[in-house]
Formats: sequence, structure tokens, C-alpha cells
Amino acid sequence: MNALRRTGRWLAGPIPISVVLALVIGAVFMLVAGVHPLDGYAAMLNGSFGSGAGLANTLQRAVPIIGIGIAIAIAFRAGVLNLGTEGQAGLGALVGGIVAVYTPGPSILVIPLAIVAAVAAGAVWGLIAALLQNGLGVPILLSTLLLNYPARYFSSWLIRFKLDDPGSDLVATRQIEPANQLAMLVPRDSAFAETLRNTLGPTNVVTAVLTGVNWSLVIAIVVVAGAIFMNRRTRFGFESGLTGQNAEFARYGGVKPGPLVLKTMALSGGLAGLFGLMTVVGAPNTRLIEGSFVQSNYAWTALLVTLLALYRPLGVAIAGLFFAAIMVGSDAMGRELGLSPQIAAVIQAFVIILLAFRVALPRGRRRRAGTEAPVDEAEEIPPLPAPTAPRPEAKEAER
Amino acid sequence: MNLAELFDQDLVSSVLRSLIPILLAALGGMLAERAGIFNIGLEGMILVGAFAGVAASYFSGNWVVGVIVAMLAGALFSLILGYGAVYRGGDPIVLAVAMNILAIGLTSFLLVAIFNVQGVFQDPGIVGIPVWRIPILADIPWLGALFSLSPLGYLALLLVPALWIVLFRTPLGLRLRGVGERPLAAATMGVNPQRYQLGAVLASGALAGLGGAQLALGNVVQFTENMSAGRGWIAVVAVMLARAHPVGVLGAALLFGFADAIGFRLQSFGLPQQLTDAGPYVITLLVLVLMSGRFRKTREAALA
Repeated sequence: MNALRRTGRWLAGPIPISVVLALVIGAVFMLVAGVHPLDGYAAMLNGSFGSGAGLANTLQRAVPIIGIGIAIAIAFRAGVLNLGTEGQAGLGALVGGIVAVYTPGPSILVIPLAIVAAVAAGAVWGLIAALLQNGLGVPILLSTLLLNYPARYFSSWLIRFKLDDPGSDLVATRQIEPANQLAMLVPRDSAFAETLRNTLGPTNVVTAVLTGVNWSLVIAIVVVAGAIFMNRRTRFGFESGLTGQNAEFARYGGVKPGPLVLKTMALSGGLAGLFGLMTVVGAPNTRLIEGSFVQSNYAWTALLVTLLALYRPLGVAIAGLFFAAIMVGSDAMGRELGLSPQIAAVIQAFVIILLAFRVALPRGRRRRAGTEAPVDEAEEIPPLPAPTAPRPEAKEAER
Repeated sequence: MNLAELFDQDLVSSVLRSLIPILLAALGGMLAERAGIFNIGLEGMILVGAFAGVAASYFSGNWVVGVIVAMLAGALFSLILGYGAVYRGGDPIVLAVAMNILAIGLTSFLLVAIFNVQGVFQDPGIVGIPVWRIPILADIPWLGALFSLSPLGYLALLLVPALWIVLFRTPLGLRLRGVGERPLAAATMGVNPQRYQLGAVLASGALAGLGGAQLALGNVVQFTENMSAGRGWIAVVAVMLARAHPVGVLGAALLFGFADAIGFRLQSFGLPQQLTDAGPYVITLLVLVLMSGRFRKTREAALA
């Protein structure tokens, strides 16, 4: 009974109301584009969950969003504003992808090597920002953001001028050897896949998901579980959570801020690099394609997901699935109704904006005078630390 | 490579071309910063301004309408940050991050919905902002480029001293700075901090919208998806480096305009575009590193 009431209260709270209102705003945009919103949302729902293939697509698309979302959540939870996951994941994809494409040898060695390379590349790119903040006081918010652009253009240059395979119309490397690609959960040509197709039917949801989603899903699940464990059970998780809540108090309690920022950025960047690699060793691509990672917008979608999830790992997984469904559904709607799939970004961004506005249904019980209404602290995006901006008043203070 | 070819008279005008959108946006960011709202939504505001300007110029056949609509659209869009951060207690960073993503989605979506094209909208019907060439002065070697700008170019350069006067020599500026530095003290003096903050954010949106108009109706006459391409972020850095001082903002914007223009020139010397495009961002980062003493000093002052 209590659980029911709590669910009801949650439903009237900021997150569901923000989502519903954002969908209403999305409907207005569909009307502007001359599409009936019901048709639009039907196409969206149908494309993302309506068929086995759609569901498989949604799950696969959710993997990098969730993975990079966890990377961002780890950083934000510690009060480290890492806006550079696009660069970190992009370089992870580049370096890991190069290893996967060009390293000869058995896949049992090549795949781990590619993963190590991708994690290292992402971590190094993240560490640059951490070192700049610790050593020189350059705000991480700005350095990570600016580091996205060299990473983006360098990848683009390397693929176009050094790695381009003339055999393809796209500016891209050659394919990764099939043996070195991430396998589907159940390989399509295996006996078990055949059994599934025969017993459940080829378009059955279970068949489609098991033969249409690769092992990166398992990696994502492990990472989410690892993040939950880390937050609850490890010293690093405790210290980073404390620092994010109150940096001064954490420092007073003996947490050294410098090393914490280094560890956080290495972990965050490394995870982003890992999931950048996932996008080139199986799905959506099996090779490096110029500009592909940036255009996919995974990193920025993941940032919105993290904000929606209030930095909680399980929340990131759920919100990641939801946003992936919006993306896949918008692609389907775009194809069917001739709309831009960018409606996905509009809806997603409005969810976060409305959440930051703290929209919610008014509570049933009136606030009694003198007592604060019970506020679900967990229902608001935790405050972010202001970057160490040179404030104008400092000049006056010096006098 | 011949250095004389790299630094010739045309360089001044290409620097100005690259500089003006950044300067307009950065001056806007400066006003918001002075009122105590950290505005990292400039990138999105520029993009919205660029799209609205192109659309309005196309439908009205008049660049003035385009510029005005771009300004209004930027201001309207910045209401998200203004209302959210000032009246709803939302986190400005969260709001601005979402706004930047919204701006890309919104403009790309409307590009298809209104003009039925994807990626680039180019049409002879879009009327660009003309260049107002001041006779005689424009013929001065090197400095002549300063007198052969678009109206928005003159506006941007004149705004630097104008905003300096407003900020430091008028009651309005005093109140605005007071609101940013000591909101409570300002409130006890009878100044409504929220109104000033909202006004500053709206002004920053309007200025960033003008920057977008210059980008899409002045520098080129077309709209391209995500055409702001990081300029808003460079403007944010310019505000921080300049400690929200108008002259400093001009200096920072000048540096980035220079980096941009040089990068563009290096392309004609055979450097691939991908590498020169990274130039302004790398230089911005280097400047942040070199000027880091300022950050550290303020941090120590804050901790002391």
C-alpha cells in the first residue's frame, strides 16, 4: 500500500511530468511539420518497441548511451564536470578501432588489445583535462569541452588521409575481420540460432533480440552493476559522492581533491573510450567511418540521460533505454512520415529543461504553515559546482 | 610557404569576419556573467539566431527583418535559461547544456519541416546583410578593413566602449554588477536582482542572436546545420579570460578571430582543413593554460 502511494507520488513528481510535457511539446512540433502527433508517436512506438528488430535496435543503440552515461555520471557525481566524453569516446573508437582493424593475430588477443587501447586513449584524453585543472586551475568544464574539437578533427583527418580504404564509397577504413567483431549474443549462423528460429519463429522478439544484439549489451550491464557497487561499497565511490555533495567538507574529512579528480577523469574517460570502441566493432559500424561517432550524437544524448537519471547508475540504464527508444523511434518516424529524426533531440532536451524547471503536479496536501513540505531530495538534479571562474569581484577584493 | 602571403592586408578583413560573431556573443555572455548567471548556452543561442535570421530574411526579402528576428529569436530562446535559472532555481549549466542540444535539434528539425532540405539551406531568396563601406576611410591601407564592415560589425565594435560606459559609468551598470556580486546587498538597496538577471540573460540571448545573424547572413548567406560550430564555446572562454571586462572580451575575441583567419589561410598552403579547423580550439586551450595564473589567483583569493 505504501509502495503504491510512493509510486503515485513519484508519478506526480518532476520526472514523469517533465517527460509527459516534453512529449506534448514534441507533438506541437509534429503539428508544425504537418504530421498528426498520434501518427507520429504511433510510428515512433512501433519503430522502437513494436517489432523484434526494433527492440533489438533500441537495445543496441542504448549500449553506448548507457555506457557513456555511466562515464559522465561517475564524473558528475564527484563534482567533476566532464563535458568531453565526445572526444574521449571518439578517440577510444579511433585508437581501439585501428588496433581492431590492423592487428593480425587470433581474435582472443586482438579484441582485448583493442579494448585496452580504447580505454587508454579515452583515459589519457580525460587525464589531460584533470592535470590542467590540478596543476594550473583551468576549469575542467572548459578544457574537456575544447578537447572535443581536436579529437574530432584529428580522427577525421586520420581516417580521410591515412586510413581511407579506396574500395568503399564512404570515407572509411576497411572492415574489421569478422572474427574480431563483437559477436551477437547468439551468433546468427549457430545451431542455437537455428533452433530459436524454428521453435519461436524468425521474427519472434526473443529470437530478434538474441540474434540482433551483440555482447556489448553484457558489457554495459556489467558496467552499470560495477558502478552501483562502486558507489555503495568502495572508498572511491564514497569519497567521490561526498566531494560532489560538499567539496569543502570532503577536504576537511581528509579527501585529497587532486588525486580524486585524476582518478575520476581517468575512469570516466576510459569508460567513454571503451563504449566509443563498441560503436565500431559491431554496431552500428564494423569499421571506422569519418564523422560517424560525432554525428551519432551518443555523447550528448548520454549527457542528457545522466542528468535525467540524477547520476544514479540504474537510472542511467533506464533513462538510456528510454532515450535510445526515442532515437530509434524518431528514425523510423522520419523514414515513414518524412520528418527530421532530430525531433528526438528536441524531445530529449525539453525533458531536461522541464526537469530543471522543477515542474510537478501540486501536492494533494497543502503545505502547513511553518513546516516545510516533504521534499524528495532525490527528485532534483543535484547542484553542480560552479567552475572556478575568475569572478569580476576578485579585482575589487585585491584592493 | 611565404610568410608575406600569410600576413597581407586581406588578413585584417578575414580576422574581422571571424571575430564579429564571437565578439557579439561574448559581449552577451559578459552581461550575463556580470549579473551572476554563468551562460554557457551561447552556442545554442547563436545557432537559433542564425536560423531565425535566415528564415526571416528569406520570407521577408529584407535583411533588416532578418537581423531583427534573429535578435528576438535569440532573446526568446534565452528565456529558457533566464526563466529557469532566475525564477525556477534551475542549474544554469544543466539548462544551458540542454539548450545547446535543443538548438541543434530544433534548427535541424525546422530546416526539414519548413524548407524541406537537409544539411544546408541556400537560396537566392535569402537577402544577406550588405557591407557599409565608408568612403575614403575604407581606402586606408591595413586599417581600411575596419571601415568596410556590415552594420552588425560596426555595432559589435561600438558596443565595446558603449557597454564599458554602461557597466562602469551608469547607475544601471552599477546595479547590474551589484546584483551579480552581492545580490542581497543589491536587494536591500531596493534593486530587484531577479529582474536584472533576467534582463541580462535576455540581452545576452539577443546579442548572441545577432552574432548568429552575422554568421548566416553576413559571413555567408546560407544556413548550415550546426553552423555555430563551437563559436559559442569560444565566446564563453573569452568571457572567462577577460573576467567579463568589455575591453578584455574584445582582446580575447580578436585572438580567436586571428587564429581562425590564419587557419583558413593555411588551407591555401595545402594544410588539410581538418587540421586547421582544430586551430582555434587548440589556441583557446593554450591561452587558457597560459593565462591560468588568473584562475589560480582567484581560486586562492576565494579560499582565503
